[in-house]
Amino acid sequence: MRGTSTLALTPTQHDLWVGAIIGGLVIVVAVAALLTILVLLVRRIDKRVVMVRDSLRAAAANTADTALIGETAKRVDAVLAEGLQHHLFLGRVLDKVRS
Amino acid sequence: MDNLVLLSVVDIALLIAGLAFYLFVVGGQLKRVATNLEECAGLVRTIKGHAHVIAPGVEHINRTGGVVAGALPLLYGMAEGIVAGVSPQPDPTRPPARPASGVRRSRLHESVGYNPGRMSGEAGQTNHDLIAG
Repeated sequence: MRGTSTLALTPTQHDLWVGAIIGGLVIVVAVAALLTILVLLVRRIDKRVVMVRDSLRAAAANTADTALIGETAKRVDAVLAEGLQHHLFLGRVLDKVRS
Repeated sequence: MDNLVLLSVVDIALLIAGLAFYLFVVGGQLKRVATNLEECAGLVRTIKGHAHVIAPGVEHINRTGGVVAGALPLLYGMAEGIVAGVSPQPDPTRPPARPASGVRRSRLHESVGYNPGRMSGEAGQTNHDLIAG
């Protein structure tokens, strides 16, 4: 007794099978093409994301000194306080000059 | 028959292998993109933190600078008052100084023969005649 058996196919079934195989190959090629396009687009996205990352790094470096704005505000307050001292001094001198 | 089966298996294997390969490649690319985007998100948060202090700081500086700019005219007005107060002012009621001996009449014109006062009394002579002698 043999372990294998042959399946009898009609010519129509054979043709349909061959057509299915050819259609499968066409589908494989189409899927490969579409996935190639997908890979290329994702690669472009990757490059653009790298550019965005570099721009953000530069922007972060540019805005790193914004902490000095608060310090500048304090120094401007010091200028105002010194100006008030000048105002008081000039007021005293002006009173003496007028009297 | 066997060939058809073999071709079918090859077809299916090609489809699965192609899908696996491309999915592996796209997966690696998307993983790299995700890593970069995470870094971008961190950088955006950093920039947001940096920019958070800009508005109140600049507003503070503008307010204080406005006060300083408004006070400066008052300061230099007071300084001008001081300068005007300490500068010597001439007495408007006092006339200009004159010599105690009085003012003498100048004889420079007469020394060169020119005397417009006498010229008007003699008719028929012009200034050139008088000058010429």
